[in-house]
Amino acid sequence: MSSVLELRGVGKTFARVPALRDIHLAVGTSELVGLIGPSGSGKSTLLRCCNRLTEPDAGEVVFEGNPVPAGGAELASVRRRMGMVFQAFNLYPHLNALQNAALAPRRAAGLSQGEAETAAREALERVGLGDRTTAMPDELSGGQQQRVAIARALALRPRILLLDEPTSALDPELVGSVLRVIRSLKEDGVAMLIATHEIAFAREAADRIAFLADGEILECGPPGEILDRPKSGRLQTFLSRL
Amino acid sequence: MSEFFQTFLNLEVMAESAGLLARGLLVTVEACLIVIPGGLFFGAGLALAQTLAPRSVTGLLSWGVDLVRAFPPLVLLVLIVHGLPFLGIEPPPLLGVGIALTINTSTYYGEILRAGILSIEPTQWEAARSTGLGTAATLRHVILPQGVRNVLPDLAGNTLEAVKLTSLASVVALPDLLRMARVAQGVHFNPSPLILAALLYLALLWPLVRLIRRLGGRAVLPA
Repeated sequence: MSSVLELRGVGKTFARVPALRDIHLAVGTSELVGLIGPSGSGKSTLLRCCNRLTEPDAGEVVFEGNPVPAGGAELASVRRRMGMVFQAFNLYPHLNALQNAALAPRRAAGLSQGEAETAAREALERVGLGDRTTAMPDELSGGQQQRVAIARALALRPRILLLDEPTSALDPELVGSVLRVIRSLKEDGVAMLIATHEIAFAREAADRIAFLADGEILECGPPGEILDRPKSGRLQTFLSRL
Repeated sequence: MSEFFQTFLNLEVMAESAGLLARGLLVTVEACLIVIPGGLFFGAGLALAQTLAPRSVTGLLSWGVDLVRAFPPLVLLVLIVHGLPFLGIEPPPLLGVGIALTINTSTYYGEILRAGILSIEPTQWEAARSTGLGTAATLRHVILPQGVRNVLPDLAGNTLEAVKLTSLASVVALPDLLRMARVAQGVHFNPSPLILAALLYLALLWPLVRLIRRLGGRAVLPA
């Protein structure tokens, strides 16, 4: 399987504390890779290094066969094709759902206003919010807000979605609606790299799971292997505490 | 009591000085039309420069802003209106006043707008960047609309101060509202024109004051 995204020896240190160490990980076309691990293990940093929201200080991130450029229009172009979804949604509170999803297609991808709105509307329909296009973020539930955030990324027709604990900020009863959307995206063949604490979801939806601890990938493989036959003590302990 | 009315609220004197004061009011409005848009424009420039420029430049800028803010606006006004002619530049009085007060008020607008930009969570920048938006588009479509809204009461308050600041122009002989009121006071040996001028300022500023009150009541911190 060809990789959409590949991390080769990526490392990151914050104030002399290593947050990521020699990360090697590839996400194939249509593949869903789950990142699990304790809080502070480096899941978010790993995702943010992919689109250089956090600048890695070692290794290389390769997207569609080319290194992710350091800045400028080339990096912006890569970011458009690498959608990101944040734990706290980070919607634009002054824009309604449609405007949230149409802003980047219009102002970053250079589509006409009409084309951008069409792309945004399709993306909102895809996450089941076709009837809430004019709602402001504060009129939506947490689950709906996160689905708007997913639509905002989808409206740019990305090759891969990076999702940073997309359900961690949600009330338990709202988690299902977001996970359903992620499942349906997987069925449509969208490649995804998801940091998550939803182990049951990872088991069922992920093609592979990587276990991160102290900034290192200790184990990586199919869900059955990782969750049912953990090799490292760290992973055994992590799973036993869930 | 009637002596008080004769002195301060003499309707006859007010009626006779109304023409003078109307001309003064016009000059005050003209000065405001230079100082307020000019201050907002250059203030926005200062705020953006301080947000985006490298640290060495922002340090220099904030030093300059502090200097202007600590400098008495009256002295700045006198220096520019009476000093520029020594350099061979002789702007019309209204423009001279406009330049001096724009320099002063743009530093205040600039600091308010900068506070507005800083009031927006870095996560908004990140969300915009993650979709490939550049710095200019992020500022224009994400940061400024929210940031300006957060500081609207302060912007309106500074505008109020800017209007009142234009009354300093009377010192450098610009025939603004206050200057004309003092001329009328001299003509009639009666301070009633000053009271009339105050009432005109009040009429000019009252809608703005009420607007600020309403904005202040509605300003809500983001959750």
